[in-house]
Amino acid sequence: MWDLRLPAGLYFTGLGIILCAYGLLFPNVRAQMAADINVNLYSGIAMGVFGLALLALAWRKRS
Amino acid sequence: MTLATVDYLVLALYFAFVIGIGWLLKKKVSTSSDFLTSGRSLPVWITSLAFIATNLGAQEVIGMCGSGAKYGIMQMHFYWLGAIPAMLFVGLFMMPFYYGSRARSVPEYLKLRFDEKTRTFNAVSFAVMTIFSSGVSMHVLGKLFQLVLGWNYLRSVLLAAAIVLVYTTLGGLTSAIYNEVLQFFLIVLGFAPLSILAVMKAGGWSGIQQNLAPKWTHAWQYMGNAADNPMGSDMFSVVVGLGFVLSFGYWCTNFLVVQRAMAADSMSSARRTPIIAAFPKMFMPLIVILPGIAALALAKMHSGYALPMLDGKLDADMVMISLMGKFYPAGLLGVGITALMASFMSGMAGNVTAFNTVWTYDIYQSHIRKGAPDSHYLMVGRISTLVGTLLSVGAAWVAHFYKNIMDLLQLVFGVVNAPLFATFLLGMFWLRATGLGAFAGLVSGTAAGLLTLALTMAEDKGGWIANLHTFRSTMAQNFWIAMVSFAVCFVVTVLLSIVGKAKPLSELKGLVWGATERPRTAAGEPWHKRPVPLALVALGICIAINIWLW
Repeated sequence: MWDLRLPAGLYFTGLGIILCAYGLLFPNVRAQMAADINVNLYSGIAMGVFGLALLALAWRKRS
Repeated sequence: MTLATVDYLVLALYFAFVIGIGWLLKKKVSTSSDFLTSGRSLPVWITSLAFIATNLGAQEVIGMCGSGAKYGIMQMHFYWLGAIPAMLFVGLFMMPFYYGSRARSVPEYLKLRFDEKTRTFNAVSFAVMTIFSSGVSMHVLGKLFQLVLGWNYLRSVLLAAAIVLVYTTLGGLTSAIYNEVLQFFLIVLGFAPLSILAVMKAGGWSGIQQNLAPKWTHAWQYMGNAADNPMGSDMFSVVVGLGFVLSFGYWCTNFLVVQRAMAADSMSSARRTPIIAAFPKMFMPLIVILPGIAALALAKMHSGYALPMLDGKLDADMVMISLMGKFYPAGLLGVGITALMASFMSGMAGNVTAFNTVWTYDIYQSHIRKGAPDSHYLMVGRISTLVGTLLSVGAAWVAHFYKNIMDLLQLVFGVVNAPLFATFLLGMFWLRATGLGAFAGLVSGTAAGLLTLALTMAEDKGGWIANLHTFRSTMAQNFWIAMVSFAVCFVVTVLLSIVGKAKPLSELKGLVWGATERPRTAAGEPWHKRPVPLALVALGICIAINIWLW
């Protein structure tokens, strides 16, 4: 069976890129009660890191 | 609340991935066993995460957050007192029989251990229950999206159902399980920021404690008297009703979750599936219940957040989405909505894949058409996936018209699961238990539970025949119904088994404690590959959390 970490890693890396890009391009898009934090940027970084970690695990197993 | 283009992009990316996974797995399915039981081939980390995810339906996520705001920290007992001990128990003591008996489903185990009628009773009640629970979950989601996002109720329900149908019909149980793992990650990553932001805004845990009366933030201290705590339940009914009967009934006998462990690649993996799952499970309340408690504190603090109300009462189902509206900007809001969609899909796929297995093996193959070639059952499996989905849509449609049907169903689920646990307990650990005893116990236990519901009331519900007692909350009523039906089933099964004739020992091999070789782990395995030490570590952490939040 193929490794689920590959598609899952790709998905979260993609999600992280979208959120980071959105957070950087539109830093003024803020929520009412979290106006002092760039929520998109930080959660994008967290998701991207998680996605890359899954990809690294999948890659390490393959090689 | 309106979604921006970026939010739709996030949602579309998710849909593309779930369907893609189903498509990739299509090639792997060539027999009915591949389709309905994953050919018992999945690695343990995947089955463990699927084990939790399949229970994390939309109703669960939305409901737990709302209950956090309604009952405070005591709601966390559903996890720490309820799910965790039950999951450790099923892994250590019951999985050897489920997995070792080579049964393909929970009802099939009942057939091997007892007889055909007990199996059929369980198969039919389970099939009806799965259809209704996925229907109700679908209804909750459709209503929420209609109310908050202005989406068309029918169209969003049909879209979500169609996507689940596509990936489960293509790749069967494996596809459902693989997607559940993806959904689990998404649920955690999509809801965790909400918990973090809401708690930070409320001044951390200490800020929450300062703003709320102590009964909301102490898990055990106010349980001595039902009148002192928000749940309206005393220690006995919480520990016995929730902790023992309801939770063990759900986690140990519900094929929906047990099926995930039965798909594992070895006995050791099957036993460790619920045990490994217990580790992330005990921290799930931080993501699903804590935001509800934080919402309560935020509302008290005049922070600009107000709890959603309906007719003067807390509208529990709206708590989570109202928090999202305040804390999530466009972008992450799309992720939050996608996570809700994912939780709905994992719950629904769980129900549908359990339904098609029980229907194909326990009803169709054993009553309608025996001895057909395997390709026939594979086709039946695929068709019943479609039929199951259509029936769920029908159930959602029914729930749409009768508002109270949902509360009622919650209570009925308790009536179905609770006596079943008595049947399994006696079936797996008592050689004398007979088929007639089990069947009569199940029927009378279920009837006794329904009768209790008909004779008592709580929050103006129940009491169709007469009202002999009024409970402080539907939760308390639920606990007592479960205890009554469990006790009746237990007593009736024991009495009829004593007067009846037990099966010979040779027929019980692999099915009952005392007639089965204990599964052994190979010498020299590290602790995390051995079920018992792993379970002890999980139990230790869980007890520590309870003491900390006493």
